[in-house]
Amino acid sequence: MVEELFGTENQIVNIIFIAITILLVMSISIVLFFYFSRNRIKKTQLEKANLVISHQKEIFRSTIITQEEERKRIAQDLHDAISSKLNIVSLNANFLAKEDITSTEANKFGNSILKVTTTILESSRKIAHELLPPTLQKFGLEAAIEELYEELYDTQKYKIKYSVSYSEKFLSADHELHLFRIVQELMSNSIKYAEATTLTFLLETKKNSLYLQYNDDGKGIDLNTIQKIKGLGMIGIENRVAILNGKLNIDTSPNNGITVTIELDR
Amino acid sequence: MDGFLDLIRDITIYFSMFYPLLYIKSFVSNNKAFKFFTIYLVTIAIIQFSLVFIVKTQLGSNIFLSHFYFMLQFVLLSLFYAELLKFKWIIGVMGFVLIGVTCQFIDDPSLFYRYNPTGFMVTQLLIVIYALLYFYKALSKKSAFLIVNIGILFYLLSSALIFASGNLIFDVKIPEYVSAKLGDINIVLYLAFQCLIFVEWWKNYSVLKIK
Repeated sequence: MVEELFGTENQIVNIIFIAITILLVMSISIVLFFYFSRNRIKKTQLEKANLVISHQKEIFRSTIITQEEERKRIAQDLHDAISSKLNIVSLNANFLAKEDITSTEANKFGNSILKVTTTILESSRKIAHELLPPTLQKFGLEAAIEELYEELYDTQKYKIKYSVSYSEKFLSADHELHLFRIVQELMSNSIKYAEATTLTFLLETKKNSLYLQYNDDGKGIDLNTIQKIKGLGMIGIENRVAILNGKLNIDTSPNNGITVTIELDR
Repeated sequence: MDGFLDLIRDITIYFSMFYPLLYIKSFVSNNKAFKFFTIYLVTIAIIQFSLVFIVKTQLGSNIFLSHFYFMLQFVLLSLFYAELLKFKWIIGVMGFVLIGVTCQFIDDPSLFYRYNPTGFMVTQLLIVIYALLYFYKALSKKSAFLIVNIGILFYLLSSALIFASGNLIFDVKIPEYVSAKLGDINIVLYLAFQCLIFVEWWKNYSVLKIK
């Protein structure tokens, strides 16, 4: 039969058999190729997804840390500025409640109570103000940032240059809060750690983009150590920028101050 | 060997009537692509049955059935892939090919009693191209009918030549056993295809999914 197949008359038939075999092999290799490519693509997709998840976990973790630190700070503030002073009030009120005190003494305690409650009121207003500045809610981001800088200017310790032209409603209310917190954090870093004397700030919105530039002339910091120092709140800033879907750029080195730019598109 | 192949032949015939029933069972609860595929299976089963009927009753040549087989396969699988791939142009190509084949028959009505190699090649290879496109689409995401797609690609591509050389039986120079051999190869490939169709049903549709 083999000889028959290779006979001249059956040459065509022979070719047909070979061609069928080739087609069969081809179709099987296509299927195998598909199978292996699919596996590889699946693998890379999985790796990507894992990367995203671990990044989200990191954000989540540092969010919790910042939250806890914030709570600690609030607790400290409440304790220092309110509870301890209320103790004084309560003590003085105790004296007032006694029957055998003279009117001079009563006046003295009364005045003391008045003085302390005034400071308590001022402190509680300040704490509330720091937690959520009413200006931001009432008059918007531009006014809130301006207020922030004016307060700093009033201390007369810093040279301040700022320009804010923010078109209202460019960001949603909670995103505005994130941006405000970023500015707040940057400022507190400049004051607390960097010992800066000159602060410049620029915020402008165009039709579809927002640009923020923050600059101080403080001590600066090595970019490699910046990640390790949790207290600087840099992770918080990074997370907030990530939530805003923005691009963060930090340019700093020891003794050269810091320049932070944030760009985001609507 | 011949007895074994006869057995496989019988298996494919009965099998082709059996698994459409499985697909019909899940007909209502599934999407359009599934429905087109089920209609395709039922159609093929009817053609198979008529084929056997004509052979058994010796009514004459059953070659004309091949035209129904190819055209209906092409139309139904085109609709199936148009649904899976979401490409509207597949319907356009289908119309174009149908017009072409009609012209062929008007031009030469005697074609009805022979095989139509050009028609077979064009329709089978178009379906193979759709199957390849579907593979490409399925690379990155989970897709339905992958096992059936493997079967369609492998069976239609490897059997294209068998059907296209069908007219060899009219060639007196070619001994009869050659076309018989081609038929045997086709039967084996077809059984493999049927198995894949069954596996698809078994893996993805045998248990009613809770949505």
